[in-house]
Amino acid sequence: MAKEKASRTQKTTMFDIVNYIVFVVIALIVLIPIWKVLVDSLNQVGVYQFRIYPRNFTLDGYKTIIETSKLYTPFLVSVVSTVLGTLLGLTLATLGGYVLNQTEMPGRNAMAFFLLFTMIFSGGMIPEYLVMKQLGFINHWYILVFKHGINVYNLVLMKNFFEGVPSSLFEAAKIDGCSPMGIFFKIVLPLSKAALASIGLMFAVTVWNDYSTVQIYITDTKQVNFQYKLKTMIMDGDTPTTSYNVSQTTLYNAGIVAAILPFMILYPFLQKYFVKGVNIGAVKE
Amino acid sequence: MRKKVQYTSTGEVVRKKPLSKRIWNHRGYYLMFLPVFLFVLIMYYWPMLGIRFAFFTYKPVGPKTFVGLKHFQSMFIDPLKAPAFWQAFKNTLELSIIKLLITTFASVIVSVFLNEMKNLFAKKTLQTIIYLPHFMSWTVVASIFTLILSKSETGMVNGLLVQWGIIEQSEKIFFLADKGWWRPIYYMVNIWKETGWGTIIFLATLSGINPELYEAADIDGASRLQKIGYVTMPALANTIITVLILNLAKVMNLFESVFVMYNIAVYDVSDVISTYIYRQTFNTFTPDYGFSTAVGLFKSLVGCVLVLVCNYLSKKTRGRGIV
Repeated sequence: MAKEKASRTQKTTMFDIVNYIVFVVIALIVLIPIWKVLVDSLNQVGVYQFRIYPRNFTLDGYKTIIETSKLYTPFLVSVVSTVLGTLLGLTLATLGGYVLNQTEMPGRNAMAFFLLFTMIFSGGMIPEYLVMKQLGFINHWYILVFKHGINVYNLVLMKNFFEGVPSSLFEAAKIDGCSPMGIFFKIVLPLSKAALASIGLMFAVTVWNDYSTVQIYITDTKQVNFQYKLKTMIMDGDTPTTSYNVSQTTLYNAGIVAAILPFMILYPFLQKYFVKGVNIGAVKE
Repeated sequence: MRKKVQYTSTGEVVRKKPLSKRIWNHRGYYLMFLPVFLFVLIMYYWPMLGIRFAFFTYKPVGPKTFVGLKHFQSMFIDPLKAPAFWQAFKNTLELSIIKLLITTFASVIVSVFLNEMKNLFAKKTLQTIIYLPHFMSWTVVASIFTLILSKSETGMVNGLLVQWGIIEQSEKIFFLADKGWWRPIYYMVNIWKETGWGTIIFLATLSGINPELYEAADIDGASRLQKIGYVTMPALANTIITVLILNLAKVMNLFESVFVMYNIAVYDVSDVISTYIYRQTFNTFTPDYGFSTAVGLFKSLVGCVLVLVCNYLSKKTRGRGIV
């Protein structure tokens, strides 16, 4: 009986074969555009054909990005704004999430409403722009940091993570005379490393990938981030002049690879943290 | 009215202390909340005050003058401005909703068949691959497809179509600037980018299905496809509804994905409310912040109603709100 059951579940049927074929096709559909970009970025001349490897290998596309200030400055802006935005975002999300879990705190519900209302209603693009203009945040890359530094959705995710920390731990610490800050740093944060990694990645991806904020708030070409530079270069033809005799296609594709490289390198190692955030946010009962 | 009695973890009854005492005891927490409070105040609440400009004429130079509902009038019925606005409104709804339906449908199909995969290594590898595009920005995705669909010598799709003799060299299609092609391309790019990521939530639901259901179906002699139809799909129904409701609340937010892919040749089929607001403000020589604020206010209100409706639906169907 047991043997028969095992054989039934192990048997490879027609269904399985079709299933594998379908998934190979799906994987190819996802990978071919990415692979083409990668190969073209390493090829001297642009061709329309799909090639498995570059026929005329060159690194000029990447060298151009590293040595042209109009391209590496945006890249540095992206790196710095991502690091700072993630740090600010994590700080505010953890502080807010921790405080919102203090069920006995007077005014807690009002504070929660104060935060959640922003998820329902917003001033809109233009009033936000006018406020930032008033504050003098226009035309500086640090708008990226402030804009993404506060994220109510991530704050709520953080709160949900913290809810899982057993409250008896807090009470024990309180009895031992630990201050709220002490509890936060000595108990809550060390127990939430996975949450910090997941939500930190969500912040990092959002800031790194942001294009709209730059498009709306920044007109000074010295302050733009790499996503913006990439868009204006490929779609609006704003290619910087370079000392390299690099073909346009090679440079464009190298730019695309540079824009995805940081997360593609991290992705295989951190995939579980990337995925965790979604599950906590959406599936939680 | 009975007072709610609270217990500590050790089982003693908690006596509520006077309010002032409780506030004082929580002073550390209020201090920790202060930075969050300030940021939310400046980044979210201050702009809300700017909504009053919807009732003013506000130009970069010159005084702000109160005009009442004039902007709403020109937005809704002025023959010069209204058609573009209504077109953008219609496009927003059509693009978001069709996009939502087809990407959800694709995600469900992919996750159901991914769930049927027996080889765990193959399954994990596939998941890794199909999640990948989600982490690319809209700029990157639009750039990749702009290059692939380009009309130039290096555009892969046009190049292959010519090579296979489907079209002539002179008939190359400018996909992203063609009114007939723009929307299908937009949906396809969305499917390419988000289908894989969308499977996560469905796969989580599928992993929670009681295996006994499949065993019972086996005993009844059900085939693989029958098991999918009668066990897997019904288990997914609730999650599908949840996903649709959660995303329905966001249909008005369409901006970046359209902005990086559209161009003047296809405004008719691609312009959405947010891109319309953007152009009315930043792409004209004489912007009236009042008018674009009014359009933005309309968008926020519709968005707000959608969130509340979805919240209500969510509470009805799964007993939990979305905000």
